[in-house]
Order: sequence, then C-alpha cells, then structure tokens
Amino acid sequence: MLLPPTDAKIVARRAEIVASLREIVPDGVVADPSGLATFDADALGAYHQMPLVCVLPSNRQQVSEILKYAQAQGVPIVPRGAGTSLSGGALPREDGILIGMGRMKRILEIDYENGCIVVEPGVTNLNITKAVEANGFYYAPDPSSQIACTIGGNVAENSGGLHCLKYGLTTNNLLGVTMVLPGGEIVTLGGKCGAQGGLDLLGIVTGSEGLLGVVVEVVVKILRKAPVTRTLLAAFSSVPAAGACVAAIIADGVVPAAMEFMDRRCAEAVEDYNQPGYPPGAEAILIMDADGVEADVTHAVSRITDIVAGCGGTTVEATDEKQRIRIWSGRKAAFAAMGRIAPDMICMDGTIPRHALPQVLEEMAQLAEHYQLGFCNVFHAGDGNLHPLICFDTMKEGEFEKAEAFGADILRLCVKVGGVLSGEHGIGVEKRDLMTEQFGEADLEQQHRLKCAFDSQGLFNPGKVFPTLSACVEQGHIHVHGAQLPHPHLPRY
Amino acid sequence: MSKVANEDQVAEFVRAAREARSPFEIVAGGTRRQVGRPVGDLPMLDVSGLSGIVKYEPAELIITAQPATSLTEIKAVLAEKGQRLGFDPADWSRLLGSNGAATLAGAASSDASGSGKLRHGGARDSLLGFRAVNGLGEAFRGGAKVVKNVTGFDLPKLMCGAYGTLGVLTEMTFRVYPQPQFATTLCLSDVTPEEGFAALRKIALSALEPAGLAYLPGNMLADVGQGAALIKLEGAAQPLEEKIALAHGLLGNAMHRIEDDPFAAIGCGEKFADITGDIWRVMIPRVEAPRIVKELNAKYWLGDWAGAVLWLAADPSEGPRIRAIAAKADGQAMLLRASVESRAALGLFAPQPPALATLGRAVKAAFDPLSLFNPGRL
Repeated sequence: MLLPPTDAKIVARRAEIVASLREIVPDGVVADPSGLATFDADALGAYHQMPLVCVLPSNRQQVSEILKYAQAQGVPIVPRGAGTSLSGGALPREDGILIGMGRMKRILEIDYENGCIVVEPGVTNLNITKAVEANGFYYAPDPSSQIACTIGGNVAENSGGLHCLKYGLTTNNLLGVTMVLPGGEIVTLGGKCGAQGGLDLLGIVTGSEGLLGVVVEVVVKILRKAPVTRTLLAAFSSVPAAGACVAAIIADGVVPAAMEFMDRRCAEAVEDYNQPGYPPGAEAILIMDADGVEADVTHAVSRITDIVAGCGGTTVEATDEKQRIRIWSGRKAAFAAMGRIAPDMICMDGTIPRHALPQVLEEMAQLAEHYQLGFCNVFHAGDGNLHPLICFDTMKEGEFEKAEAFGADILRLCVKVGGVLSGEHGIGVEKRDLMTEQFGEADLEQQHRLKCAFDSQGLFNPGKVFPTLSACVEQGHIHVHGAQLPHPHLPRY
Repeated sequence: MSKVANEDQVAEFVRAAREARSPFEIVAGGTRRQVGRPVGDLPMLDVSGLSGIVKYEPAELIITAQPATSLTEIKAVLAEKGQRLGFDPADWSRLLGSNGAATLAGAASSDASGSGKLRHGGARDSLLGFRAVNGLGEAFRGGAKVVKNVTGFDLPKLMCGAYGTLGVLTEMTFRVYPQPQFATTLCLSDVTPEEGFAALRKIALSALEPAGLAYLPGNMLADVGQGAALIKLEGAAQPLEEKIALAHGLLGNAMHRIEDDPFAAIGCGEKFADITGDIWRVMIPRVEAPRIVKELNAKYWLGDWAGAVLWLAADPSEGPRIRAIAAKADGQAMLLRASVESRAALGLFAPQPPALATLGRAVKAAFDPLSLFNPGRL
C-alpha cells in the first residue's frame, strides 16, 4: 500500500513542530519514541507507522489552535479516537500530527425528555449506554469494539453493529455534531432537534473517515430499552437453505433486532472454543433476536419459526437469559475461535443484496478452492453484511499474498452482484485501491471535490479512502497472528 | 421549457447550459416551486419525463425509481406488496395550491416527511443510492442499492433537503418498509398544550414505536375541547391491541379511538391549506414546545413529532420574530408558504453563521461550480 510520499522537510522540522504544539497543549504532547509507539497503528494490524508527533487536546479551543497551526504550516493531520478502526483510518503518517481525542471524554448533558445525550467525542460507545441504562435507556449502534471505541470514531466510521438491521447505523442515530474544520473554524451541524437549516452536512461528515475535520461534540439519540427480547437459534442442513431463509424472513416483513449467520466450519470452531450449545452437524446456523412489546415479539417469533420450518430448518429458543447469553457468546467469540484453528486470519467486510447470498456463498467456496485456503463465513445476515474470515499461515511462502488476493476477489464479487466494498469497517487504507471497482471516474472525482470543499489543502488524513493514481494493488486487512487480534481484549463480530 | 426523457439528455442540457452560463430551474411535478427563495424568471428544465419504477425488489425491501415518479404511483406499487416508503413523504400540493403531482424527487429534495418520520426517520434515512448529473454535465452516482454501506462519502444524505441545488437526479433507490397490518389513532381530548405534549413525550419515550404524535388545539380539530393529543399506533392485530392497552396504562387517561386517520391531513400541511397568512414549520427540541407555543402566540397552529415541529400561520410581518424565537431554542424556522416578497426577504431558513455558510457554499460549488441549478433557492 502506497501512501502519499513523506515530506522530508516537515520531518526535518519536527523539534520546532513539537515545541509549537506544546505551547497549545502544554500537558498533552507525546513526542518520545516509546510514547509514540502506542499510536503507531489502529486495529488494522498489518500496517504500522510512527507519527511525527501525537497531540492530545482537552478542549475544542485547543483543537482549533492545533488545526490552525497545522494549516498555516502545511502539516498533515490524522485524527484518532481509540484506534479500533479495522480499515486503517487512524494509521499515522511520518510527516503528520496525530490528534488523539481520548482526553475529551465528558458526558455533557443527558436529556431524557428530548431523547438524547450530549457528549464529547472521546466517550466510549458503551459508556453512553451505561450513562442512561439505569433509567431504562440505551444507545442503539453496538459495534463489537463498543467497550473501547469512541463515539467520535463511530461518527467518523459510521459504525454499525449487530442491531443495525432494526435500529440503523450511527448516521441514523446521530442528531448533531460540533466540529472543527481544517482551517480551525468551529461549526455546529444539527443539534437536539436534528434540523440543520441548509444542506445536510451532518450526513456527509458521518462516515467521512477523518477526511473532513475533527468532531468535538456529539448529540445522539437514546432509546427506551425494549421490554422483551427473545433469542432464536435456527439450524439448517445446507448453506443455501439458510441463505434462502434469511431472504424469506426479510421478505415477510418481520424485522428481527439482529440476525446472524455462521457456517459449519465457524460454528464447530466456536463450539470447541466456548461451547455455546450449537446443534452438531448443522451446515449453517442463524441466531436471531426479536425485541419490542410482548405481543410484537410473540408475533415475530411465531412468524420466524414458521419460516425457518418452511425452509427445512429447525428452531430452538433460549429459555432464559442465561441461555440467551450463551447462544450469543458463541457468535461473539467467532473471530477468536477461528484464530485458534488457523495460524493467521484476515477478516473481510462487504455488503451484498440479500437475494445474492446463496450465489455469493457458492462462488466464495470456489475461490477458496482456487486459492487453496481455508475460510469461513460469519456475518450480519439480515442486512447482507458479510464478514468472511480467510485462514492462512504467514510462515508459508506466499500465503499472505494469496490470502490478500482472495480477500480482494471476495470484495470484487460483492460489487459484481450489486453490493459494496464495505458495510461497516470503512475504506481507510485497507480497501482504498478497490474503490475503482465500485465507483467510476466521475463518481470518485465528485467525492474528491466534496473533500476539497472542506479541506482545500488536502491535509486531512491524506492517503485514506481515495486511491492515488500511482498506488499499487496491495491490500491489507485485519491481520490475526496466533489467535492474537490487535486489541485482544475486544470482542470482534 | 426544455423537456428531457433520460439521463443522457439531462447531461446534454446541463453541458449546454454550462457553455451558455445559463442557470435554470429544475421542475418535475412543479408542486414545490413556491417553496424557498424565488429563483427568478429562469429557463426551466422539465424532468417529468424521467418517471416510472426501474426495479422493485419486495424481498430486498428496496425500490429503484426514476425521480419524477409520482408519490401516488410509488405508494400504489408498494401497497400491492404490503410495503411503504419509510419517510412518509409529504405531498404539500394542497397547502401550496398546486394541481401538479408530487414526485419522489420533490419530496426527498425538500426533505418533506409527514408524521410517520417518528417511526423510520426522514428521506435521508431511506435514500440508499442515486444517479444524478452535476453542474459539469457529468453523470455520477452516490450510495448503492444495499441497506448497509459505508463505502465513500454518504452522498444520498446530502441530496435530501438540497432542493435540487446540487444536481439533477436521474434515478433513486429507497429502502422500503413493511406496511403494518393495522393502525389506529388514540385521542386524548380536552387537554392543554402542556398536558398534551407531556403525554406525547411519554409515548415517544416508550417502546411503543408510535407512527404519529401530534397536539392540535381546539380550533384545529372538531369536538376536542381545548385541544387533543393524538397518538397513532401500528401493528398486527394482537400486538396493536397490546400497544393500545400499554398506552392507556402509561397515560392513565381515558382516550377514544379515531377511525379516520387524522394524520393524513397533518403531515402534509392540509390543515393550513385554507388559512391565510405565511405558513411556518418551526423545528425545535420537543420539550420546548409548550413554552414556544406560548411565545409564538399564533391563532392557528399545531405540533407534530411530539412537539419537535410546530406548524403555524402568521402575518408576513412576523417573520423576524418567529426566526428569533426558533434561534433562541437552537431550532430552525422554515418558511414553507409565503408571498414571493416574503420568500425573497426571509429565505427558506435563517442565514447560517458565517463559517457554516462559507462551508455550505463550498459544498454547493463542489457539485455545481457555476451555480446553474435552482440558484439561490436554499
């Protein structure tokens, strides 16, 4: 992966830049090598780069001063939340200031009557829910890294999670942000009432992967926790039958709160790993949540059970909360469990139309045959968001390259059937050079021009999302070695 | 007036307009031409020929249509399969005195959602992908035809509520939702705005997933005393009965059911069609509604979205006062129906703070550098 070339002149001015940043944030500049090593990668572990310097502002005025300084000096900026991005969005630059937002983590206001909460960007996703759960509320998007990832990072990546089938992604739960533009100006987009009085710039900033500015305040919706949640486990004797069942449930109009798919290879690895009690011998399983008021849930459960039976599957329902958690624990351990049976692993992320599921699963099996690599499928089936896991061994000559080629072919397949390169992990550096598979020249140029409207000097997160003309085709992915994910304490699903 | 029938013709027209530095107005059904700052006497690009369903995939809950497809047609097509658009598109034609047919692109471009926005969000939450022609005369696309996508900038959001100032839409793909089997509206009669909005907020904060929450004073709805809180609930037969019982339990008041859906006339502004004066939509944090209603002191008004939007009729001289009240509450006052003079003087929304206005202009220029499309409308 080629990033825009390092500007040696900026690197040569490092001492002066560090000193200037210390004037802005006296207690928040990291410049020593051991301190900087903490920030040299995000969760796309295949890529490492020490930043020029890392600055940790405590308030929006400092952010504004930093950006004004960077712009005046022509120094690139890479914003970072908790560094849990799976696509390299927060990968530093040797000639760039890494601006870490982790210290801005105050909860500013909880407003139940308006159904929203106002927080600083460094608050973790889970801490938003924790702040309101005693009153029966929660924040809906639940990316697997929610214990660590920050809401600012969620805004940048438009993060999803298990429950976005029913409750939407970050963008559908976000009411407003205050952000600092690359020139240091502070603007507010939306707010408690959501209305912006002009173009929907909030919609563009969400999922912009740190290319447009730095978010310093966030207003998100909080929802009343559903009074009833029931969990179903469905087993199928063939993968196409499970795929057809997913399509049938969606077509029926039932909207499960979550709907997850695992193939046999994955389910068996998980069963060995933490014994969630999955039915032996099933070629594919679906795990589904139905939530809402009791009668709604009863209705959904009965529809789902009938449809599963109609597709030749069998359904088991969790009888109590303990069993419910046990069923989900298997799904949540899927990455770790696969990591035990393969020396190395990469996780892909793409979305396809749900009707293409059987075809894509079939073609992926053919690709695996071609590349002679193991893989398994575990994904958010309800919205067609695939997370194939590719197994390989870095110790074997050429296997990493083969695995990357396999991964790229899977994403091309997603695009071929009418899908997209990323459902929730983002483009970052990982999929940057595949953007031309999905978008034509005019499409990309239009997006470029939009980027320039915010960042005319091109200093914000250069080398991310959009391919450069000279880029090579190499791709990177979540790289798992010896069952050790980057941030091993975080569940990944 | 130039009429186009496909994307190539749109692109050709835009390139010619670009050569001639000749701005134009984009018109499909023409029902919303009187909204926003007047663009003046400009040539018109008639895109009404870009009409019809391109592909409907009920099992995917996705529909792709040409932009000038009428709301009537698309609703009928979806209803045949028991589905509906999630953003409850509002047809403002009665309110604005137009005989035209409201279209899909018109509703999305003006971010026109009815009362049902509470349930599945606005147009921005439903538009998954589109094709359009930008101000360079180039066809481009944004988004995709799947429900979960974070590939590149989320351009569909930007096209919603842009009033045609960023491009000429040529195709749109929407997420659609199952149409619940039954719906009913509960009416809590003879309550003050304070009591009524408090009741609506209680339901909004519940897990009942209401499809409409409005307060109407006594002069806007017959036989409700000083005013009524209206609560629309949906579902299959048994779940709906349970939700109704839960709503009664939450409010602890006697409510009666209204058979005809009163929300049909609320979300599209029809309640104000025969009332004179300028018509405003004031969007505010909903808890402020009772206070702001008092401050606005309008004779004819109602509150939808549990108080997050107040509709009112006002004398044209009142514009600045209404804007000031909205601004103080961190809200937005949108001038929906007014004379050419009022619209020219006040604009659709209040002017933005300088930094944001500059950014907005830069974004507009990124799509339409010569300002060819509906200049000045937004």
